[in-house]
Amino acid sequence: MPNCLVCYKWTLDERDIKINPSDLSLDSSRAKGKISDFDRMAIEEATLIVEKHGGAVEALSYGTAAVKQSLKDTLSRGPGKAYWIADASAENADAVVTTNVLAAAIKKLGSYDLILCGEGSSDAFNQQTAPRIAALLGLPCLSFVNKLSITEDVVSVTRKLPDRTEEVSVRGPVVVSVLSEINKPRIPSLKQVLGAAKKPNQEIKIADLGLKPEDLQPKTVRRSVKGFVMQRKNVIYKETNLADNVAKLKESLAAEGLC
Amino acid sequence: MAEIFVFSEDLALAKQLLTPALELKASLTQPIVALALSEESAKELVALGADKAIALKSDSKWVEGFSEAIFTHVSNAGASVLLVGGTLSGKHIASYVAAKLGAGMTSDAKTLRIDGANLVTSRVLYAGLAVAEEETVLPAVVTVRARTFVAPATAAKAGTVETAAVHGDARYTLGQVTSTVTEGVDITAADKLVSVGRGFKTKDDLKLAEDLAGALKAEISCSRGVAEDDHWLPIERYVGISGQTVKPDLYLAVGLSGQVQHMVGCRESKVIIAVNSDEKSPIFEAADYGIVGDLYEVLPLLTAAVRNNGGR
Repeated sequence: MPNCLVCYKWTLDERDIKINPSDLSLDSSRAKGKISDFDRMAIEEATLIVEKHGGAVEALSYGTAAVKQSLKDTLSRGPGKAYWIADASAENADAVVTTNVLAAAIKKLGSYDLILCGEGSSDAFNQQTAPRIAALLGLPCLSFVNKLSITEDVVSVTRKLPDRTEEVSVRGPVVVSVLSEINKPRIPSLKQVLGAAKKPNQEIKIADLGLKPEDLQPKTVRRSVKGFVMQRKNVIYKETNLADNVAKLKESLAAEGLC
Repeated sequence: MAEIFVFSEDLALAKQLLTPALELKASLTQPIVALALSEESAKELVALGADKAIALKSDSKWVEGFSEAIFTHVSNAGASVLLVGGTLSGKHIASYVAAKLGAGMTSDAKTLRIDGANLVTSRVLYAGLAVAEEETVLPAVVTVRARTFVAPATAAKAGTVETAAVHGDARYTLGQVTSTVTEGVDITAADKLVSVGRGFKTKDDLKLAEDLAGALKAEISCSRGVAEDDHWLPIERYVGISGQTVKPDLYLAVGLSGQVQHMVGCRESKVIIAVNSDEKSPIFEAADYGIVGDLYEVLPLLTAAVRNNGGR
């Protein structure tokens, strides 16, 4: 019966982020939090595995104080317990710091047969977390997985890469990153949402992870972030006479030398 | 002396990596070492400016299993920068090596240069909404996607080729490998694209877009949903953050909402045209020209108009 851990990120919903036209800075003041898109598939996959084979699913997240807002949504999606590490260091954490913290927490929590992550986060999409955690813990890593099965202690997956699919198997424990196609995450029912409030969650203090100060020192720092703005003509034909609109568009195409 | 390392299992991409590697060489005055998967590949890479290429020889066919061997080469040489081709396999390997080195890593860098003692890179965030400039202390690992750079010209003096035996990773068992069936169409090479989204109700209706593409002498591309969810078109035709990046003269998007994850793959197009029934659709903000209307009415009219124009 597999003991599963899902690592997830609580990110800003990028649809709520606006670009200030004056200086191209990002305005995220109205942005709500969400479980990073592909991490929802990781939670769902772990939950499906446990529904089929028994065992347990727990969830782990490292973030700023906002990470606590994620617990209800996470627990309504299947995991039996959530661990959270809320620390100011997450504000500027790069993949080095993030995976140092996650790997140290996993070591502290005990042994898992399966550690799952989404293939990349909705915000930075670095796609580094799963292979880095595996390297730090000395575990094998099956990345970019769109199908997963477990027989005894062997984890078999289909990896979907742009030019090929591969069947790969390892003896657990193993770190897995899942693709968005692996499943369709359930929409939690009212009962599951209410039930989430009764499930346990536990804070892990970063000071208790035995990390050295340099482990929390990012190797990559952001110098600047600027909104990407396209300069487009925005000539939109929307009169009631469709034939006129089409004629005008054809003239525009011809004027651009495109037909 | 530290060295700049380059690796991709995709030879065309490995060649492209030599262009930023040569720029780093000029800044750091360090030699370039390319890791290759065959002697033939190694020879091609030294011909394009790698000072040395090491052909990694192995019985294993699973390239991710070479992660530890690549780490060992890079670590023993005291590499300053490791450039890895940004395929999914490349990202797996690069992340592993970066973790073992304790190094920072930039994924999918668009630009890279040395500033002072650090590597400065740019990349997109939030699926293309923003561009970030990042600074990483050396040693640094960077992945670069295909076609971000053009391969350099033949070097005046070819470097040397060595071979090294490497072992795969015995923890993994590789079973069946199936090549993705492609039509061999390269939408990134097309001058014009008619790109279809989920505004089409059935696969047969794509004929309307094909007719327009025929009149314009354009290729057909699509959104992720059309390829990955509906399977109406092969995945090599989908444009977006996880699909193809295209820069045609004309990108004509039909029934396509223009989410940022899609637009990041086509926003460098010269002219973008949108046909969509929803006036509030974000595609119109990203378009030079557009028609608000039902694609089922607009496309036949537009195809006829283009044909009457001679379809130059």
